[in-house]
Amino acid sequence: MEMHPRVSDHAASDLDRAIADEAELTAGIRIRPGRSYGFFTDTTLCIGCKACEVACKEWNNLPADGIGLTGHSYDNTTALSADSWRHVMFIEAGVRDDLAQPFQSGWLMMSDVCKHCHNAPCLEACPTGALFRTEFDTVVVQQDICNGCGYCVPACPFGVVDISLLDGKAHKCTLCYDRLKGGLEPACAKACPTDSIQFGELDELQERARRREADLHRRGVAGAYIYGAPGTPGATGGLGHLSAFFLLTATPETYNLPRAPTRPANRIAPSLAAGIATVFGLAVAALSLFTRSAER
Amino acid sequence: MSMNEQPAWDGRTYYNEPQLRAAPFNNALVGGYIFLAGLSGAAQLLTTVMDATRGPGAASTTRRGRYLAMLAPTVGALCLILDLHTPQRFYNMLRLIKPTSPMSLGSWVLVGFGVTSTATAVLQFAADRLRGSRLRGVARITQVPAALAGAFMSTYTASLLSATSTPLWAAAPKSLAVRFASSAVASAAAALGLGERNDRRRRDLDNLAVAALAVELAATLASEHAERQVGIDDGGKQSAGRAAVPLVLLLTSLLLPGFLGRAVSTLGSVAALGGGLAMRVDTLTEGDTSARQSHRSLRFAQPDNLPRA
Ligand code: SF4
Repeated sequence: MEMHPRVSDHAASDLDRAIADEAELTAGIRIRPGRSYGFFTDTTLCIGCKACEVACKEWNNLPADGIGLTGHSYDNTTALSADSWRHVMFIEAGVRDDLAQPFQSGWLMMSDVCKHCHNAPCLEACPTGALFRTEFDTVVVQQDICNGCGYCVPACPFGVVDISLLDGKAHKCTLCYDRLKGGLEPACAKACPTDSIQFGELDELQERARRREADLHRRGVAGAYIYGAPGTPGATGGLGHLSAFFLLTATPETYNLPRAPTRPANRIAPSLAAGIATVFGLAVAALSLFTRSAER
Repeated sequence: MSMNEQPAWDGRTYYNEPQLRAAPFNNALVGGYIFLAGLSGAAQLLTTVMDATRGPGAASTTRRGRYLAMLAPTVGALCLILDLHTPQRFYNMLRLIKPTSPMSLGSWVLVGFGVTSTATAVLQFAADRLRGSRLRGVARITQVPAALAGAFMSTYTASLLSATSTPLWAAAPKSLAVRFASSAVASAAAALGLGERNDRRRRDLDNLAVAALAVELAATLASEHAERQVGIDDGGKQSAGRAAVPLVLLLTSLLLPGFLGRAVSTLGSVAALGGGLAMRVDTLTEGDTSARQSHRSLRFAQPDNLPRA
């Protein structure tokens, strides 16, 4: 990757102020309100270092979570939660094939995150308006409004958003809303040493992902595919595209991802219609019962 | 690669770790609210029908129905507030109206039902004490919007559960709504029937409860069928008994004369109320389990379960 010319303006590592539009130097883009931003997580580049998890915890001041060892893999975080907004998964995909290319180790690694869904079920469910869509087209919980009803939690098709028992509010990845406002790229993407996590404008990222997918196919990784871009697994059932999307090399289920999730709000109308019809049907039954015996 | 080119799922999960998060509800409080919302909403509706058909002749039943309808806006609302993880901000439920959120719509329905039902109950209370007043007539008017709101109270809670990603709640939105609605009518008829001293009206209410329980039973079987269809049936316990037991008892009571009939009817009504509460709490608990079991949630999210376009 070429260096941005402005990089040489900042030779000292000890800064006395924030660098204006720093994302231009670290991710090659200027962050502007009114545009759509997201993450492209290319799992073929993930080395499982968990720098993203640490950077996220540090920037967002998140408490420690799930201290202990699972024993099943190097994954001791186990799930996204109120206190873990990036989660690196470790999947042992069988014995390493010596004929394979060097990047194809026996382990699959993937840094999971909130998908910032286009028709976000958490946002659609939120009764207080605490969950809202920002000027960067991301989905964020406003902590000063959330009353901890917890309805966003079962709404999410990916098991992301969670209530913290420490403060009784819902928490999840904000796509570093505060950093975006300050012109910085999200902490996880900046920290990722292999660029497995890439931050950028959504159109550009989707384009980049398609190029990467084609490139991998050319190089013999036939199973590489995109999850969460329009028309791919994950972006199904009325959810629209996912602003945080992935490049995967095994079935979605391998990464604990639903293959064909659906938009929960689409179930409201049929359910309400059936329920109201039943109540009124039984009310008519009551009407005829009560009238008949009144006449007797 | 499009969805159809993907290799099929081999059934393996990520170390059995959950793929979804279960709702962080207190199932006793929320289940209790769903039950009371149904009971109160349907009681208001049946009372209004009773008042329209029988008029002053059924004044004692109408009075009990209007007081019964006060359970949801009082005890029920308290259950909801206590279930919040930040209860002191309960009023944020009324910051906006959001059509995609049954919890938002439901909060407003609860407010509307609460205001109109309280007005009706207060008018009833006053009319009973001020002889010859016109208040009774006003109550006959306020009960109409209360009854309409009551219809929504009996069933919106099913939409609330279905509009989530929890497999068991999302699998069969229509039959879940029919179950909640019919169970609400059954428990309201049972509760009104319990205190009914007029034999004819008690039989009418029991008949109505029988009809509602029969609908609930059919919808329960339909739900279980749908769960098998989408592949998330856990092969576990049968839940049909919660409607079948009171159904059989009430049917029997209708065939028995006199005191025996009344005794079995009382048993059946109590069973209907208990079954209604248990059905709500169990639906919540079993839904939570289905959300925590990734082999069920990943199965539910297979393309064959996508709604047909
Ligand atoms: S992944 Fe879950 S928490 Fe994130 S935007 Fe979508 S529904 Fe909301």
